[in-house]
Amino acid sequence: MAGLAPKRLMKELTEIQSKGTPEGIVLLSADDMKEWVFLISVLGEETIYKGETFALRMRFGNRYPIEVPEVTFLATEQYQPPLHPHVYSNGHICASILGTEWSPVLNAVAICITMQSMLASNKKKERPEGNDRYVRTAPSNPKLTRWHYDDDTV
Amino acid sequence: MDMSSHPLLASLDEPPPFPPSYPQLRRLDRSVVCQICKEPFQAPVSIQCGHSFCSACIRSSLDAMKKCPSCNEPASEGHIRRNRALEEITDSWEESRPVIHGLAHPPTSKKRPAPEPSSKPASSTGVKRMKQSPRAEGSSSRSQSPTKSRKSDIVESDIPIDLDEDENDEVLELTENDEAPCPLCQASLPISSIPMHIEKGCPPPKGKTNGMRKGNQKADWKKVFSGQGTSSKAKEVEMKRITKPNYSLATPADLRGLLSEYSLSTTGDKSALVARVQEWIILFNSNLDTSHPSSLSALRAKMSDVEASKKRDKEKGKDEMINQMASTSGLRKYAKESGGEFERLKREIIERDKRRKEEEEGKGSGRDNAIEVE
Repeated sequence: MAGLAPKRLMKELTEIQSKGTPEGIVLLSADDMKEWVFLISVLGEETIYKGETFALRMRFGNRYPIEVPEVTFLATEQYQPPLHPHVYSNGHICASILGTEWSPVLNAVAICITMQSMLASNKKKERPEGNDRYVRTAPSNPKLTRWHYDDDTV
Repeated sequence: MDMSSHPLLASLDEPPPFPPSYPQLRRLDRSVVCQICKEPFQAPVSIQCGHSFCSACIRSSLDAMKKCPSCNEPASEGHIRRNRALEEITDSWEESRPVIHGLAHPPTSKKRPAPEPSSKPASSTGVKRMKQSPRAEGSSSRSQSPTKSRKSDIVESDIPIDLDEDENDEVLELTENDEAPCPLCQASLPISSIPMHIEKGCPPPKGKTNGMRKGNQKADWKKVFSGQGTSSKAKEVEMKRITKPNYSLATPADLRGLLSEYSLSTTGDKSALVARVQEWIILFNSNLDTSHPSSLSALRAKMSDVEASKKRDKEKGKDEMINQMASTSGLRKYAKESGGEFERLKREIIERDKRRKEEEEGKGSGRDNAIEVE
């Protein structure tokens, strides 16, 4: 039992087990204490993502929750990242909660809820500016990218 | 996925939750939990904004960012203050939780159900604490500060009442310097030294027990900075908060000196040394924020645990793994590989449980001396 992470994740798993996840969020896999995948869909009639489901992958390091987990939307044959001005086509997400605004009192489900509301408040389906350039050169770990958080509207 | 049969959860030793019919108790249960590790507070401390966390949790968090994790107010290590009341509350709640849980099950009448003589709640007191300081059942409730004895009247409901111990008011007036009989061997000792005495396995009192830990600080530091004082030599460790070195100015020799003072490994390059010093300072300093500190060797064991797991993480080559995930064949391979890792985790947990059980039975016979604070 080294480090905080496995124990803390175990707690979160128990909580998900006993209380369930919020509507529109489903735990798809949590086979170990390193990587979990959630399915996220946006509820309601208003949303531009009606009927779409996205897979959000979280990777937890040993320093979780002090350090933010590595969070990306899966880009596979089965799942595509959402078309959103803060989500790159390789699944990388530009969101302050995954960078400077991370706090160790947050948890995996809180990240899902943030992502869900980020999608819910979006009005137009488009990729971020410079998507192609970023995707070509992006490191595989989005935590290594230096992000600028400037748009609070979506 | 079906969570009810999740293999990782099978071995989780969570204390049972309170039934939903007792929302107050659920709330109370939540209120003694650190928001960072989600465990009952260990060595709780408060920061400027009034939020409280485990000492080690907030120290690690402040290393990463200088603000309160709960409210984002600016915060720094200098603001950390030991929260003794919260520690007492957490400890006494942990201790009374099984009793109250026993009373709350089944929820027949809400108002003060009569204590059932058959309930045996005291048996699993504080799962978390047990692991940290595996003491015998009887001693754990008494070996702490004298004010603790107030709790005894909760437990007493199912224990034959011991009148000598039940005179709460009198006990409360005792100070740490007053003498009292050891609850195990009845030898008369100053109250403050009883926990140590029990940890040592009740040796006959020697007369002078305190005041031998002074050490010559100047000489110690000289040793530190000249880079000597290799490993086991430095036995007498000052139980004083370590001041963080300036990591950008400190030379590897400085860091090695500091590490060797505490008999820690001095291998690796500067970044490894810095990481080790940082980790140790968190462990060591937070250990001073509690009234039941771990022994130095327990701290060292914790350190090597953390280091081992970090090494595993590094060796895995995280980026490589992510690339691997991009292709389906890589995915399959990953599933195969991590299957083994998963098995290993499972084994570890099972072994840990076994160890813990043994420890509980064997009452940790060969334990080291606990650190003495204040």
